[in-house]
Amino acid sequence: MKKHASILAIGACLCAALACVVLVGCGNNQPASGTDDAAKTTEPATTASGDYTLVTDGKLIVASDLDFPPLDSFENGKAQGFDVELSEAIASKMGLECEYLPPMNFDAIIPLIQQGGKADIGNSAFSITDERKKEIDFTDAYLDSNLGIAVKKDGGISGDEAAIIEALSADGVIVAVQAGTTGQDWAEENLPKDNVRPFDSVTNCITGVSTGKFDAFVADLPVIGYQCTQFTDCEVCLEIPTGEQYGIVVSKDNPGLTSAINDALAELEEDGTMAALKEKWFGITE
Amino acid sequence: MGHTDRRRQRGLLVTLCAVVCAFVMLAPSTAWGLTTSKATARPNEEGGSSVIGGLPTRLTWEGTVDDGEEVTAVTLRLPEGGSFDGASTKVTVLQGLTRSELATEVAPEGPQLKVTFVDPATQGLLLRLEVEGMKFPAKGGDVVVEGTYVNQDGEKPLAASKPIATIANTPLQSLLASLDANPVVKAWNSSQFLGMFFKPQLLVTAFATLVPGWFLCLVIVLVAYPIAILLGLVFALMKISRHRVLRAIAIVYINILRGTPLFLQIYIMFFGLPMMNINIDNNVLGVIVIAINASAYLAEIFRAGIESIPPGQYEAAASLGMGHMMTMLNIILPQTVRRVMPTVTSDFITSYKDTSLLSSVGVMELMMFAKNLTSVSGNMTPYVAAAIFYLIVTLPLIKVVTTVEKRMAKSERGGGARPKVKAKDVAAAEAEQDDIALGGVVDAQ
Repeated sequence: MKKHASILAIGACLCAALACVVLVGCGNNQPASGTDDAAKTTEPATTASGDYTLVTDGKLIVASDLDFPPLDSFENGKAQGFDVELSEAIASKMGLECEYLPPMNFDAIIPLIQQGGKADIGNSAFSITDERKKEIDFTDAYLDSNLGIAVKKDGGISGDEAAIIEALSADGVIVAVQAGTTGQDWAEENLPKDNVRPFDSVTNCITGVSTGKFDAFVADLPVIGYQCTQFTDCEVCLEIPTGEQYGIVVSKDNPGLTSAINDALAELEEDGTMAALKEKWFGITE
Repeated sequence: MGHTDRRRQRGLLVTLCAVVCAFVMLAPSTAWGLTTSKATARPNEEGGSSVIGGLPTRLTWEGTVDDGEEVTAVTLRLPEGGSFDGASTKVTVLQGLTRSELATEVAPEGPQLKVTFVDPATQGLLLRLEVEGMKFPAKGGDVVVEGTYVNQDGEKPLAASKPIATIANTPLQSLLASLDANPVVKAWNSSQFLGMFFKPQLLVTAFATLVPGWFLCLVIVLVAYPIAILLGLVFALMKISRHRVLRAIAIVYINILRGTPLFLQIYIMFFGLPMMNINIDNNVLGVIVIAINASAYLAEIFRAGIESIPPGQYEAAASLGMGHMMTMLNIILPQTVRRVMPTVTSDFITSYKDTSLLSSVGVMELMMFAKNLTSVSGNMTPYVAAAIFYLIVTLPLIKVVTTVEKRMAKSERGGGARPKVKAKDVAAAEAEQDDIALGGVVDAQ
């Protein structure tokens, strides 16, 4: 009798859990679409390029990993970097207040924007790729970039691309990458899978290279270059020309916001703000 | 003799060099006008590292325009069975690391992909074609990408790329394809929550690929735990020792390890030790960190267990003429073991789960595999699969703890199992034990 009762209890619990799951699933969708409609009907179009919805009225909420200096970083409790100042400039062009969410994992940003309700845009040095375009929309490109590989100085890894790929393909070599980045993509395409280890943070990767735990770190060149000035025992052993471009991530349900940001980007390009930002953070003069 | 030989060799070398130089000088007429530098494909095996034919993947082809050439079109060709149909192509033109904007037209057609440059690509430019959604021949094997290019002198063949290793479809991938096509699975995945956390395709992939990580977790905790038990016992005895110094050491050790997050201890060990030039294998280091961390908790559990034995036992042992050591080994510790068993099992469960933190420093355990799969798929399902792997071990252990605790509670109340119970059938025994337990409670009251 006792046993039957416990089986029944377990069954009841499972049913309840499943019911919760289904309810939560629906619940997530309904308010989102509800607010969408409400926003569309009540909020007048703020720009000529059409209307868009925001999580909070009057605020452009940005998601970023803030762990990608000099593009994004989190210093003294404040978001800093090229991307951050760009987001602020875009927000001010759109007459909005820019607000950054606390730092999050890079590979969590696209799912977050996709699901909506937490942030309006993702601006975290996202390279525009066709694969990512399936999940979200990109704004126009705002910066060109390439990949780079950092290794420990005098670690015996050098030469041209083919030689370095061969050295990094040897058994037992560990190549650190940030999870979900184009650096990980490159490593998995060019190196044996067992050698590639994805991590959450850039600091984790570069510290590992510096201490000899990992043999190399593949990431965007501006970041690799910057990290090698901080970890002076590391160096950039290879610059990989990929010609990738950074864009800002916007939900596919919010095309109005994408075009509004594109307008703002064009204005920033025109009035010289973009050139000033590039000079400030990368010393690039065009 | 040796000298003349060497001279002859030197002479040969010189002529060889001369011949090679002559070829290089003549090169412009014979060399490729567009040099294929690279062709690679992204692995498209779910959770694996192979490139599978017949399934969409991405081909990256790179070529450099040679001196004095102007390339107006590039055509890539796959072997029979390969297809560019429905693929989207990103053309990137680079001068060094700087992008050059060149207008292009892309026309995929069956096994051919033609990229036309509106303005010709000039010397020194790197042409990079990323073709997303193309398919290699379904039969697998080494695939060589060939093709032609058009320069100012007309159409010429491209140098063949290095072979790209591809494989035919695996049973697992066929199963995934059938799941993809299944309408029930489609309906299931259309729910945002179910699709994000319980996607059937990814559950299958994860179960097939997470096993090595799961084994490593088990190995780490099974090796670490006996060490932790020994260390824990030593520190427990030190903490109740009469020597002040031993007590102090034990207190510092236990408090620091119990008072700081394991995550921090892992970071310090993994990144700190190499800085002091101590290099230990990652997996071994994982065992050490887990063992040391668990030993601090176990020391406290053992100390509490030892102190819970009534002082009367020591007095009785002393009255029989037993020394301190003998009392400990023969009287106190055996009773302690019985008392701490459930708590130690709980702590074992904790340690087993704690191995997940090792993923943050690159130990290829369960969470690392799950993370790998998640970062590739952008889906949380691999974590759910990992959770199931943890539960396979923890649920039976939790059951053991509960059972043992119940039995002990009964025996503490004086209603423990008696020899005669064994002879009877289980149901009767249970009923009787309940009665006895009740009786015990009544007695106690």
